[in-house]
Amino acid sequence: MSFIAKVLLSCGVCAVVALGFLAKADPVGKDRQSSYALMSPDTQAMQDDPLLNPANFAVLDGQALWHEATGQKNVSCASCHGDAAVSMKGVAASFPKLSSAGRPLLSLGGRINQCRTEHQGAKPLAAESKPLLSLSAFVATQSKGMPITVNRSAANAAHLDAGERLFNLRLGQLNLSCAQCHAERPGQKLAGNAIPQGHPTAYPIYRLEWQTVGSLERRLRNCLTGVRAEPYAFGSQELLELELFLAWRARGMPLESPGVRP
Amino acid sequence: MTMKRRTFVLSAGAASGLTSLNALATVADATQAVDKILGQQKAAMGRVTLVIPPLVENGNLVTMKVSVDSPMTQADHVQAIHIVAEGNPLPNVVSFYLSPRAGRAVITTRIRLGDSQRVRAIAQMSDGSFWQGEAVTLVTLAACTEV
Amino acid sequence: MSKTSRTLVTMPARAKKGDIVDIRIIVQHDMESGFRHTETGQRVPRDIIRDFRCTYNGVDIFRVELHPGMGANPMIMFTTVATESGTLEFKWSGDNGYASSTSSQLVVT
Repeated sequence: MSFIAKVLLSCGVCAVVALGFLAKADPVGKDRQSSYALMSPDTQAMQDDPLLNPANFAVLDGQALWHEATGQKNVSCASCHGDAAVSMKGVAASFPKLSSAGRPLLSLGGRINQCRTEHQGAKPLAAESKPLLSLSAFVATQSKGMPITVNRSAANAAHLDAGERLFNLRLGQLNLSCAQCHAERPGQKLAGNAIPQGHPTAYPIYRLEWQTVGSLERRLRNCLTGVRAEPYAFGSQELLELELFLAWRARGMPLESPGVRP
Repeated sequence: MTMKRRTFVLSAGAASGLTSLNALATVADATQAVDKILGQQKAAMGRVTLVIPPLVENGNLVTMKVSVDSPMTQADHVQAIHIVAEGNPLPNVVSFYLSPRAGRAVITTRIRLGDSQRVRAIAQMSDGSFWQGEAVTLVTLAACTEV
Repeated sequence: MSKTSRTLVTMPARAKKGDIVDIRIIVQHDMESGFRHTETGQRVPRDIIRDFRCTYNGVDIFRVELHPGMGANPMIMFTTVATESGTLEFKWSGDNGYASSTSSQLVVT
């Protein structure tokens, strides 16, 4: 090996060792930070003002759907749940969860679809469809400002552990785990953008990159594409368990929905 | 790499739909767009302030504010403001048409920026003169996208 | 084929004669630029709002020519002088027969 190659190799080794040294533990408690804090003032202003927030239209669409009778039973969400501002307060902040013992783990979108099939006699809304995102945005914003209340329980423990394993699992051609970027290196730059801690405090979000409103599942699939891994399918158990772990990791942090993100 | 392989890679790239490099306008396209607005005239630098954040997180929705120093009276007002982007697929972004009824020539909107670039604002005055301002900005892309 | 969408206008309900009134409008529209491609390489056709105009008691006070470079859900903040009480009308039109309109009352004292 040439002298220059040896120098470069040892520099590379030193860099890896140094990075390993700098890798910190996952931020907890008050050290946790919403990705809102990393955004430019312009983008923050876009989120803060409902009249500037591009997701606001989704909320209004969701409100219209809330009152629309549908399905074979021809009932609306409102016919059971009444005023969403009252009945849905705190609801979005408690997802994902098992709707009752022995039932599958559900995201908010999954729960909306369960309501549709079981109580409205309607077909479930397609993943990432405009109606589902609009309803999710409308329900989620009723919990705006409230803390995420996903805690460990006997019922969700197995799912939570599975989610944590996924969070720490190296994936894809780049062989990176969620933890390596979001738990160990938040605040550092990746391709010019600051790495967020990855707390799902604002979903569904209007992502400027998508130019539309989207779910946490869509965002997680983008991460997976980012590490050059095959993205888990929408509605997959993996995405649900990851969502559960992320919500638990962000428990106590206030919901900002609907958020705006770059 | 032999010439044959290089040609293959380039044509494979084109076939897969990687048109982004060709899709961005050149500065010449933007200059042509500005010349069309100006007719035979020239636009003097000044009186027009264009504010775009110097570093943009995502080019899909960028807040911009244009203001023109003008009394906005019947005798002296801004008739139109044209926004031209040097690095977008199409240089013309938006044109605003005002009258003295505006009171002041200050407009904020949100535009798309396809790349880091210079954006120009050309103001057409009631006396037939043109003034211009510009903003240079760096546009970054999200680290984890869909494709 | 005609289509329409939500619009939101923010402006004061009252103003003093001669005051400059701030108006903020935002309209729900994807503003499909015509430069995006599907995963299979198909170009998504252009579909944008082309024109916005505002009238004040029937008089044109502001007009905008929009191109694909305008962001989705176009938002524009502009001004007008409060001259007399009346109605401000806001109209958007665009590709594929798109048309939206709304109005706002202004009381000028």
